[in-house]
Amino acid sequence: MVTQILDPTDERVPIKRSLTPRPEALHGTIALLDISKPRGDVFLDRLEELLHERAPGVETRRFMKPTVAKPAPQPIKDAILEECDFVIEALAD
Amino acid sequence: MHPPTQFSLATADGEEMQFPPDGPVLLALVKEDCDTCNLTLPLLEAVHRATEDGLDVWVAVQKRDDIAVLKDRHDLTMPLLDDDALDLSYETDIDTVPTLFLYDDEQNCTLQTFGFDKHEWREIAGESMTLAGRPDADTAIDWESLPEQRPGCGARNYEPGVYERLQALKSGDLLSRLVDLASSDDIHDFMYEQGYTDGFPVVPPTRERVWKMLQGTTRDPQEEVAIVPPNLAPITVEKIAINAVMAGAKPEYMPSIITLVEIACTETFNVHGVLATTMGATPVGVFNGPIRDRIGMNYLHGALGSGNRANAAIGRALRLCVRNVGGSVPGGTDRATQGGPHRMTMNFAEHEDASPWESLAVERGFEATDDVATLMAMSGGPATVADERSRDGRGLAGTLALSMSCMQDPKSPMVDTLVVLSPDHAGIFGRSGWSKDDVRECIMEQTAIPLKDRLRSADAGCGLAPGVVERFGGEAALDRPVPKFMDKSNIILVVAGSPAAKFSTILGGWAGGAYSTPTSARIGVQERRT
Repeated sequence: MVTQILDPTDERVPIKRSLTPRPEALHGTIALLDISKPRGDVFLDRLEELLHERAPGVETRRFMKPTVAKPAPQPIKDAILEECDFVIEALAD
Repeated sequence: MHPPTQFSLATADGEEMQFPPDGPVLLALVKEDCDTCNLTLPLLEAVHRATEDGLDVWVAVQKRDDIAVLKDRHDLTMPLLDDDALDLSYETDIDTVPTLFLYDDEQNCTLQTFGFDKHEWREIAGESMTLAGRPDADTAIDWESLPEQRPGCGARNYEPGVYERLQALKSGDLLSRLVDLASSDDIHDFMYEQGYTDGFPVVPPTRERVWKMLQGTTRDPQEEVAIVPPNLAPITVEKIAINAVMAGAKPEYMPSIITLVEIACTETFNVHGVLATTMGATPVGVFNGPIRDRIGMNYLHGALGSGNRANAAIGRALRLCVRNVGGSVPGGTDRATQGGPHRMTMNFAEHEDASPWESLAVERGFEATDDVATLMAMSGGPATVADERSRDGRGLAGTLALSMSCMQDPKSPMVDTLVVLSPDHAGIFGRSGWSKDDVRECIMEQTAIPLKDRLRSADAGCGLAPGVVERFGGEAALDRPVPKFMDKSNIILVVAGSPAAKFSTILGGWAGGAYSTPTSARIGVQERRT
């Protein structure tokens, strides 16, 4: 009878990440990240319109991943971190 | 075999004996079901009695339960030590019992032998008497009645199953965490519930099995082979071996599995995207070179599945590595909308002798004698193309073209597609004198339809966006023929299957280009080609 087996996984304990504290109000610059999925631009265009309409003081800045198939390149992540206060990502179809 | 320098073993009564004792010692290792051990135990007892307190005679028995049996059978009074765990046997690496080591009073091993050679045993008995300070005393051994020689028996530590267990426990090769099962756990239910499997039962990766699997490669068990997405977890040779055991692989498949893991984790193949895509792609492996026969891969009847261990287990091992180490789990980062049976394993060898052309590997720049694996991302499962009537290249290429023209959808051009020609179909092209490029060009020509028919319409929403017309040169290009494939090189041709049937198979690719490019590597050699 088998009583012990070797662990086939990477054995890493999952890292628990807490959410960044939610802000009271929108301010500063919001990154709108298009992951290059079809119609992501349509969604973000409309979202940008609504943001400008309902949060007039807020700026938006558009970013786009070169391909949907891979994680965002580090320069994009760095730019969002440096230039923006919030990020909204348009995921999947 | 190495004479031990120090160890501690208990007698049957539980008395712990520390080796070396003070003064000279004759140490023997024996087992009960060995005629030669039974022949020689009375001789050891005779030496023990004759040397009195001048020399210790210790006998390590390879099985605890046999100590009492041997003691009664031969009326033994010398200390019988319990080596049931085989610690001493492993450390000395004896492969035969009985084995004898004689140490002088400075703990130097001066004589050793195994089996029974009367001349050697007589010399050891005589030297034992000398070391005991009684060179002239009689051992009461009737040497004349004993045979000249008797071979020993295989030591228990080298018995099949035992050897692997000892190596697994003591070699230091295995560093993975041990998962304990409760006595009430069913191993297969347990492994499924832990999320270790692809749904089918897996072979439990015991230490013994994993150690045996590691014997299939010369690479260090702790060598890091790749970083596996999506969790970007390093994978060692040991982790690959664990998943290979689970997949049902044999040790000789290890170099192939390691190579597939290396290819999958390259930037060009991008297994992250391949398995994360909602389109449900999967790595498909094609093997070329002598390794196909060396490890018994199938390129004949049912080559694409099922029934062959190498084909099935090698592809499955890759999938399990990415699942268990990379963390790619359906519903997690594996977002396949529907998936398909080919996502369990899809791996086969090319029938090179039945091909009128150079093999896939040679076409991609390798030598025919190289062992090569090529991995490509396919989202479409195998689809049969039946054409039992065509007798020339043009007719058959036309059938293939019509069959391929609706892949994914009838309008959108696509990229990499794998065409697995049966030997009969390949033979038709060969007899027509067609090259691979002739086939590709004909398929490009036969799948070409006017650009306007590749555009989205109210009646069929698939296809190209109207905006692309500008890229083709505007309105004037609407009637221009546009093939199904972006480039003829997207049509990948290989040969597999049994003779005497005119059926081939097509597998539709995923997205190609920067998403995932077919990638090849020599097995066991870190050199890749895209």
